[in-house]
Amino acid sequence: MRPDLRRLATVDAWAGLAASLAAVALALLVSMAVIAAFGGPPLGAIQSLWTGAFGSTRQVAGTLSYVAPLAFVAIGWILVAAVGRISVGFDGQILIGGAFATWAGVSLDGLPGVVHLTLAIVLAALAGAAWAGIAAWLWAVRRVNEIIATLLLNFIAFRIVGWLVRGPLQEPTGGFPQSDPLLDSARWPALIPSTPLAGDIFLAVALVALLPLVLRGTGFGYRLRLTGANDEAARHAGVDTRRVTALALVLSGALGGLAGSSLILAGQTGVMTDGFNQNLGFYGIVVALLARNSPLGVLPAALLIGALLQGGPYMQAAVGISSALMSFTQGLVVVFVAGSVFLLRRRRATGGHTGVGLAAGTDRPSPVEVS
Amino acid sequence: MDPFGAAWLATTLTLATPLIFAAVGELISERAGVINIGLEGMMLTGAFFSFLVAWATGSFWLGVGAGIAAGMLLAAIMAVLSLKARADQIVVGVGLNILALGLTSFVFEQIFLSRPQAVLPVPERVAVPGLSAIPGIGQAVFRQPVLVYVAWFTVLAAWWVLHRTTWGLAIRSAGETPSAADTAGIRVDRVRWIGILVAGCLGGLGGAVLSIGQVGLFVQQISAGQGYIALAAVIFGGWRPLGVLGACLFFAGTNALQLQLQARNSVPAAVWAAVALVAVVYAVWRLRRPETRSWGTAASAGLVIALGAGLTLARPSVSLPSELWLALPYVITLLALAGLVGRVRMPRDLGIPYDIPYDREAHKV
Repeated sequence: MRPDLRRLATVDAWAGLAASLAAVALALLVSMAVIAAFGGPPLGAIQSLWTGAFGSTRQVAGTLSYVAPLAFVAIGWILVAAVGRISVGFDGQILIGGAFATWAGVSLDGLPGVVHLTLAIVLAALAGAAWAGIAAWLWAVRRVNEIIATLLLNFIAFRIVGWLVRGPLQEPTGGFPQSDPLLDSARWPALIPSTPLAGDIFLAVALVALLPLVLRGTGFGYRLRLTGANDEAARHAGVDTRRVTALALVLSGALGGLAGSSLILAGQTGVMTDGFNQNLGFYGIVVALLARNSPLGVLPAALLIGALLQGGPYMQAAVGISSALMSFTQGLVVVFVAGSVFLLRRRRATGGHTGVGLAAGTDRPSPVEVS
Repeated sequence: MDPFGAAWLATTLTLATPLIFAAVGELISERAGVINIGLEGMMLTGAFFSFLVAWATGSFWLGVGAGIAAGMLLAAIMAVLSLKARADQIVVGVGLNILALGLTSFVFEQIFLSRPQAVLPVPERVAVPGLSAIPGIGQAVFRQPVLVYVAWFTVLAAWWVLHRTTWGLAIRSAGETPSAADTAGIRVDRVRWIGILVAGCLGGLGGAVLSIGQVGLFVQQISAGQGYIALAAVIFGGWRPLGVLGACLFFAGTNALQLQLQARNSVPAAVWAAVALVAVVYAVWRLRRPETRSWGTAASAGLVIALGAGLTLARPSVSLPSELWLALPYVITLLALAGLVGRVRMPRDLGIPYDIPYDREAHKV
């Protein structure tokens, strides 16, 4: 089974941008229609969404605070997509990475701020990598489909964190399913006081900038893309495709762990709660798809999805439309982005062959991919 | 055999029913060549809209119909995008899952958040005359809600259609060698359309069983990964109806066991014996054939058998917090898939869009 993600990446950049914007606009329009159907004010809802996301410094900071975790996940998805595979395990990696960050943040007392924070971040990344490593190992050695493996690992991680916040990491009074507050030395300093915007956004921007360099400028990136384009050819060229693919999965896990560290170490509450991942592992995938797997598009797409997530609760308070609608909107965005590929290809292929049909016939699943 | 009594059997059958519906639907779709990750979303929408309609109309069967319709509506979106627009099947599936999560949570909150929790009556159990009188297991197995029997019938129907009819041949060839099917005059995309719709129909039905069929209520994210476990059951079942049934029963059995163990303060010895037994069955199954025979399999199976037997005799006091017991079905599903290597072959063109060769495309009107 070869996920044909190249179709997202190979369309003309400007046409792709136009199609992504159209997908967002269409998703918002459909959402407005749903709001109207439930007796809400469509325009008022959009207005309150905007106010909630960008209306004040505090709101903008809230929107921006989503950018880092979403961007980490999106980069992880793009890495795995480049090698021709799919990971949907980011929520699990966020949960496991965040749990380790919490442990480091709560228990390693007496460290200087920079050291403590760095240690917690590195630990979260390693934990996320190890969690994804399970799926990578299952894929490379036991030939388990990586999509199913990463999905199931999400549920396992969710239960583990559910246990941690009621067991080993629970706050001492035992009254709430949440961890002890983190020590201040382990928390990202806030960029704007008493807002959720913290320094982790710089780390995200740096990694987004690093991604094209890794993909285009290193031997590893080259082997990654070669494997993604045609793993048989890559094998013939001497690339250990299993190893490269497993490594990409593990790296994406590290990024998922980083997203988890952001939610914990840059979060405003400074405690770990049940389900603190807030489905950001999937919303980060929406970001990557909206960006059409292009590193350039990650930050603007993350800003947009962050605005929906930040503005949603405000809209709920203002016009009584449940913020769960924002998840529906994002699902629509994915569906429309996926559908727009057709129009884009059609536009390019003037008459006759679309350039993928023949490839489909030769894209046999390799033995590694069975089950 | 303490934890494996009639109660366990009855719970297993109950928990297996939604899995069976969803997995059989997915099986048809995958045999036709379409991988439908959106199955989880189809179950979730089926669960919600069946609850909504059953609550609004007071009719259980209208609710079931609504669940099916909701699942099929998502399936139609999936079909248009993956067959007509040739979009990536996985990406569309992921999108549909997010969409379904948002839609069901949204409508649920809009309608029910301001009301007291609505609980609908669950359907009555129907006893099979004669069989339900079997001592011991009769009441557990043959006294079930109607949809449980329907689920088993669906497996048989799927087997018969797939392996005994020309329709089944068309479905299998569309997933195996679509170019040959096309040459033989089979409209590949039409067959795949039907496959996806069947997945949506049965996924929605499975969702309806989860909500109004079993508990009479809806909670957000009620599907809780059942759709993904159904996907795994299709793989574990080797893309064959009876194998899929066995996989669903195995996963549901683990889940039922886990529910029982949560309530105890120690794992009973019978569970360790069962672990050893499963390892024995696995070892026989793998070592019987030369192509799956390996020292690694023998060693790991031997280790598990020895461990299981030792624990059975030693009867240690072992327990887990309930949250970790809840993770067990997913862990077992992963282990089951990991133990499968080299044994099953998926439909050859699964997940690959079929494009009509372009010399003929040019002649298409």
